[in-house]
Amino acid sequence: MTDISPVRLGLIWQRLNGMIDEVAESFIRTSFSSVVRENSDMAFSLLDRQGRQFIQTRRSIPSFIGTLPRTLRAILEVYPEDTLQPGDVLISNDSWLGTGHLNDITMVHPIFRHGRIVAFAGSTAHTVDIGGAPSPTAKDCYEEGLCIPVCRIVEAGVENRTVVAFLQENLREPDETLGDIRAQFAAYRMATEKLFQLLDDEGIEDLDAVIAEILSRSEASMRRTIADLPDGEFSDEMTVDGFDHPLTVKCAIRIAGDEIAVDFAGTSPQIDRPVNCVMNYTYAYACYALKCALDPTAPNNDGSFRPITVTAPDGCLLNARRPAPVWGRHLSGHYVPPAVFGALARVVPDRVAAESGSPLWNVYFKGRNEATGKPFVKMFFMNGGHGARPSSDGPGCLSFPSNVSNQPIEQFENQVPLLVTEKAFVPDTGGAGRFRGGPAQRLSFRSVAESPITMTIRHERIVYPPRGLLGGGPGSAGRDLVNGEAIPAKAQVALRPGDVATFQTPGGGGMGPPADRPPELAAADRAAGLVTSDGEAA
Amino acid sequence: MSDATYRIGVDIGGTFTDLVLLNQATGALLNGKVLTTPDDPSRAVLDGIRALLRQHDVPPAAVGNVIHGTTLVANALIERKGVKTALITTSGFRDVLEIGREWRYDLFDLQLEMPPPLVSRQNRFELTERLAPNGEVITPLDEAAAAALARQLADSDIAAVAVVFLHAFKNPAHERRVKAVFAEHAPGLNVCLSSDVSPEIGEYERSSTAVANAYVQPLFRRYVADLAAGIRDLGIARDLFLMLSDGGTVHRSAAVEYPIRLVQSGPAGGAQAASLHGRLAGESELLCFDMGGTTAKACLIEQGRPSRTTSFEVARMFRFAKGSGLPLQVPVVDMIEIGAGGGSIARLDRMGLIQVGPDSASSDPGPACYGLGGTEPTVTDADLLLGYLDAGSFLGGDMALDVEKAEAAIRARIAEPLGISAVEAAWGIHETVTENMAQAATIHALEKGRKVEGYRLVPIGGAGPVHACSLAAKMGIGRLICPTGAGVASALGLLASPTAFEFVQADMQPLDGLDFTRVEAMVRDLAARGRELLAASDVAEANMAAEYSVLMRHVGQGYEVEVPLTLETIAAADAATIADRFARVYHDLYGRNENMAPEVISWRVVVTGPTPDLSLDASTAGAGPAAKKERQVYFAETGGFTPTPVHARDGLSATDTLAGPAIVEERESTLVVPPGWTVRPHASGNLILDRT
Repeated sequence: MTDISPVRLGLIWQRLNGMIDEVAESFIRTSFSSVVRENSDMAFSLLDRQGRQFIQTRRSIPSFIGTLPRTLRAILEVYPEDTLQPGDVLISNDSWLGTGHLNDITMVHPIFRHGRIVAFAGSTAHTVDIGGAPSPTAKDCYEEGLCIPVCRIVEAGVENRTVVAFLQENLREPDETLGDIRAQFAAYRMATEKLFQLLDDEGIEDLDAVIAEILSRSEASMRRTIADLPDGEFSDEMTVDGFDHPLTVKCAIRIAGDEIAVDFAGTSPQIDRPVNCVMNYTYAYACYALKCALDPTAPNNDGSFRPITVTAPDGCLLNARRPAPVWGRHLSGHYVPPAVFGALARVVPDRVAAESGSPLWNVYFKGRNEATGKPFVKMFFMNGGHGARPSSDGPGCLSFPSNVSNQPIEQFENQVPLLVTEKAFVPDTGGAGRFRGGPAQRLSFRSVAESPITMTIRHERIVYPPRGLLGGGPGSAGRDLVNGEAIPAKAQVALRPGDVATFQTPGGGGMGPPADRPPELAAADRAAGLVTSDGEAA
Repeated sequence: MSDATYRIGVDIGGTFTDLVLLNQATGALLNGKVLTTPDDPSRAVLDGIRALLRQHDVPPAAVGNVIHGTTLVANALIERKGVKTALITTSGFRDVLEIGREWRYDLFDLQLEMPPPLVSRQNRFELTERLAPNGEVITPLDEAAAAALARQLADSDIAAVAVVFLHAFKNPAHERRVKAVFAEHAPGLNVCLSSDVSPEIGEYERSSTAVANAYVQPLFRRYVADLAAGIRDLGIARDLFLMLSDGGTVHRSAAVEYPIRLVQSGPAGGAQAASLHGRLAGESELLCFDMGGTTAKACLIEQGRPSRTTSFEVARMFRFAKGSGLPLQVPVVDMIEIGAGGGSIARLDRMGLIQVGPDSASSDPGPACYGLGGTEPTVTDADLLLGYLDAGSFLGGDMALDVEKAEAAIRARIAEPLGISAVEAAWGIHETVTENMAQAATIHALEKGRKVEGYRLVPIGGAGPVHACSLAAKMGIGRLICPTGAGVASALGLLASPTAFEFVQADMQPLDGLDFTRVEAMVRDLAARGRELLAASDVAEANMAAEYSVLMRHVGQGYEVEVPLTLETIAAADAATIADRFARVYHDLYGRNENMAPEVISWRVVVTGPTPDLSLDASTAGAGPAAKKERQVYFAETGGFTPTPVHARDGLSATDTLAGPAIVEERESTLVVPPGWTVRPHASGNLILDRT
């Protein structure tokens, strides 16, 4: 099958896409992890013998773009292809080999047919607990939980009891994590059956010719897209809150012919607090930002990203070295897309967005529920305003670049002894501009517990708010308060009975000069009370 | 009902209003079709009924009832034609309606637009009040402020008000008090309470539902009143019933209280029709596949009933993407809808491969073969080129199709750029859209913990039967039930539906230690309210049945499963039986059980009247011309064009069996039977297709 017709290729490719989505769906349905079920915090992929990914689930989240091939290649260095046998499953959650924190467990499974590997099925899924005691003040990666080195969790179809025992003894919820792991084994079996069915239906032995076409067409498409851009080097530099002193994220994009090089040279060195990011996560978010700006429909496969290189100096915030703590990798990694957009704005201003109120905000509440007599741990997510776009305002409180939804307050209050007293837009928080940034939101929580609740907070954009683009103004900075007094943005804070904690997320940056704002939009903002008469937007 | 020999079903669609007149004594079905009148949809309904009765010489007094499926509610939301509405919330929460759930429905589109809320910020008001999660009052309602607000709104151009307080599903007292205050100070205003419309947990979805109900209610009330008066004027003594989105029908007086429950009124009729045809063919596990001009819908039917859900999204803004519409917590038939219809446009994507839809050439300009100026190739153009459709017999020959225009469009946009023949390109289009639908339906079933292989496919809609066999083969389905009149199936489905009303009431509690006394009182009260509604719909008490179920999950999980129960189990406070049933249902869906505590999320009560016992008259079989034609039809199985016999549907006798390749034509649809399939008529008048 060296010369495959475009009609047939299209149909096989479509079927592969549907097949991997089915596999992922059947896993999601049975997963214990709430972030897997509700936010699709997982990815399934098919990769070839060289570790090139050719199909990935359409539902997976940005931080998993392009990381599985890197993990598979690292695994194959430990267990080369000739040491693998049918029924093997290899596992690791090493932050440097996987997606950048221990909670994401990656596994791969060689699919043998007639004695040879025709593909690898791979998956990454978030697990709620990975042991350890991650804290906002962690000094190194060893505090962050159990690291599973590359090992064989299933050998020729038989679970390795030693590996399972290590997991069993080091996790707080081993049944749930192992349940998810075993659900992925079942998903690999399903992927194998469906792949064999496809090969049988098509009367072919392997997918080599199909994979070659998929990768080369994807690559050619991305190369054409890049070739349409003017050559040159475009850079951006942003200052971010950091832990106890400001840090720099610097991004240079070099467009040469049909290739793009993204380099983060000039970014601050890593620090001994868990805001560092590993290279895989930096790579994933750089590719994500380029895909959003250049071709949102580009397939997630190695071909699409072959014309793109991403580099960052060894030991910097965005390419941290062991044993840096990386638990809060999103606190620096979520700056990658705005840094890429900032640089791209100099060449394709009509295809990017101003900065959003991210990195993602969340609070862990931990305490004791007197009503049930049981301890509780609950994570609450809240998003800032979205950055303005080239032809429209930024939506209020939309998750970017991650995609995490909020939880209904009515459900939250049923689970924890906290009363939410407001969840509201804050006027004058969206950056001014021809198009306005999305407004921030404010949430207040009053403790109705009888004992103190510990809040774990890791918030950015308290000092340096989201910037506007092309003359647009910045959004407002975020604020963390207890009883009206400011509290540290990265800390564990006790909330006593009756205390009120207030969190105000950052507002999105504006785009274009405020003087160019169409009068009817300005009037609508005033009528809605999003911009008050005595102040332009923040 | 001795004088009520006939019943009429009327389904308003985008282009046509379909009518069926059923003679209950003989089972004879008479169809009618008139153009929809978008400015006043009731005009087409009344004109259509009048014409149908006159044409068949049926006296209006012999009509038992008229059952109506309407797109009015969905269209008012899609086109934003409702009334100016205000929202009143608990202090601190007026922006919940606009903030929504904070996630993007498209991960990569930076320019995506979220659906604007139906109530703008300046019309969202707050009142001081607060309830605890268990319904206890933390802060009493500020009644003086409520009265002041009522007077303010009475003097404004606001025409409807929705009231949504936190935890009001647990204790409606504050919402009801606001309604009473408004009745006193703003008597003309239409007030909807979230605790009435959607007593479920989740403030955003409940707000969205209550607001949508308020927004369409004045329009809907007026429409129903006009239509009912029109029907009386026609001389039909009995009354108007409406189809709800979950496949039950109710008297108009109940429908106008909850117009939002009619948001999927028409499509629910299609699913009920598929259930009916399955029942007549002795099959109960079905996949209803409804493919029209713009979209395709699929719905699972289990144990003879369309599967339901209580969450729905209307007015999706972007490519039918989940999350891009307004969420509604209402009982609906659970359907997936994708942009794959006869008018779906084919083009080459950036990879140089064929992509079909989700956008459609719709009816203007329509597919290239309509000759109305369309130049982009569509699924209909491909089906025509492949010989599945006939240029001369489309819509019974009323609409001539232009093969040359179809071929030119496919050649220019697909075949030449790919360096292949127009026929190969047409085959690629046909297969691509069919694969799209197969994947969407398969994943829809998986999301419900089901595998499609075990179901029988019931194709309806104009394009359904063209793609049905190929679709079934892709999904591993071996049997099809093909109804006659696939094009007017929804209208018939209206007549096949029982009078029924459903209530869902949230009450989140761990199963362990559940307050059964309160739960029993609550479900008894819901059942009593249902009986009242059905009594008002002329259902005799003796014919009513109540079904109970509970939505449960393990503590901390994000999905609920529905566990059917009896009232006796609840009355006996039998937690062990409930836990056991839950474990069984859960295992059935997920293939395993968890060692975790179960919790109850909400209770569901459905009060149902009898399902109409429809038997259709199949005596028209063989009445049509038996003369066979033949045409060249493309099948992959035979490697290209094959001389294929063409049968008229009404020319098939009640005993003829056929083997593919074959084509069976009727006025509104064409059944394509590839090689490897056999066709046999069933006593019900349906055709049964089996894959050999």
